[in-house]
Amino acid sequence: MSDVEFERRVGRVLSAPMPANARAKDAIMDRVRAAARDQRPTRALALPLGRTARHSLIGLAMAAGIGSITTLSALRDTSATRHAGIVTSVVIGDSVVEGFRDTLRLVRLMFDNAGARQVAVAGDFNEWNRSATPMRRDERTGRWSVTLALHDGEHRYAIVVDATRWAGDSAADRPADGNGHVYSLLHVARATN
Amino acid sequence: MTDHAIIHQVLAGDVEAFSRLVDRHYDRCARIAFRILGNREDAEEAIQDAFLRAYRALGTYEDQERFSAWLTRILVNQCRTVLARVKRREAVFSDLDLRDAELFAGVESKDSEWPDLERALALLPPDQREAVVLRYADDLTYEEMARVTGAGESALKMRVQRAFARLRALLQEVSSV
Repeated sequence: MSDVEFERRVGRVLSAPMPANARAKDAIMDRVRAAARDQRPTRALALPLGRTARHSLIGLAMAAGIGSITTLSALRDTSATRHAGIVTSVVIGDSVVEGFRDTLRLVRLMFDNAGARQVAVAGDFNEWNRSATPMRRDERTGRWSVTLALHDGEHRYAIVVDATRWAGDSAADRPADGNGHVYSLLHVARATN
Repeated sequence: MTDHAIIHQVLAGDVEAFSRLVDRHYDRCARIAFRILGNREDAEEAIQDAFLRAYRALGTYEDQERFSAWLTRILVNQCRTVLARVKRREAVFSDLDLRDAELFAGVESKDSEWPDLERALALLPPDQREAVVLRYADDLTYEEMARVTGAGESALKMRVQRAFARLRALLQEVSSV
């Protein structure tokens, strides 16, 4: 038998399917379910596929010297519930940033996770940069928050905990894009009081 | 649905979606683990552990890498762990000839197209067996094998080459009996 023939025959034997064990897959899922009861995997931030470059709206607002936190003090907290590690409220304010070609609306995101060392928000509005938009922690309540200046419309975003873990928003919509990626979706519109 | 889409479902909290990854990749994992370990019981343990580790580490998986390659890397590490545990048993049998190899080659050689090859594989050094299995059971390129095993491409080519030489020698030995 030539070397080529020998190699081909070895390859055919090695690539042949193994006899199936019907219970084996069930046994794997039994262990996975048990593991999920203890702790579910959390996601390191992955940049979405196919996203396109956009201007940083936050950067525009900061450059204009407008959109400070104090303008949000009168905003209404619309959160109904609070759970550790979950974004629980999105407050849309009436404050409008003007002076550019576009009108920007100030939006405050809040996130409850007292154990986190650092929290940031990444999304369409900051090129999914996990460090560009850090959230600040209120030492009294343990709540993290950040103010964004956004166009009206829909914005995809994710909360980044300790630079690696991804946290979802229980209140926001969770759509999947064409690649099956699931993100929180923020609807920005004029607030109604 | 792509592997990536399923992974995102799992990470969004749908544990049962993981079963689709198991269905999709189990047979390939079985081919690799059974051939590397040569023992059904050990192979199934390695496969279970590999899928469990993959589930727990799913948050660290990065979309840029093929899921199958990522899972294979985990599986090969699990196989190595199992092999290290049974090293003593391997050492006992390593001096036996091909006619005795079936004693510990748990693969159902009677169902194989080439039973003597199954036995000869069991007598290869673990690193050579691993290389030849990844090359031919999983159809990986040497570049992919290097990422999976951590070994250099030239070293892997050498292992495969030596594995073939050893297999031919063992099979000639048995055909002369």
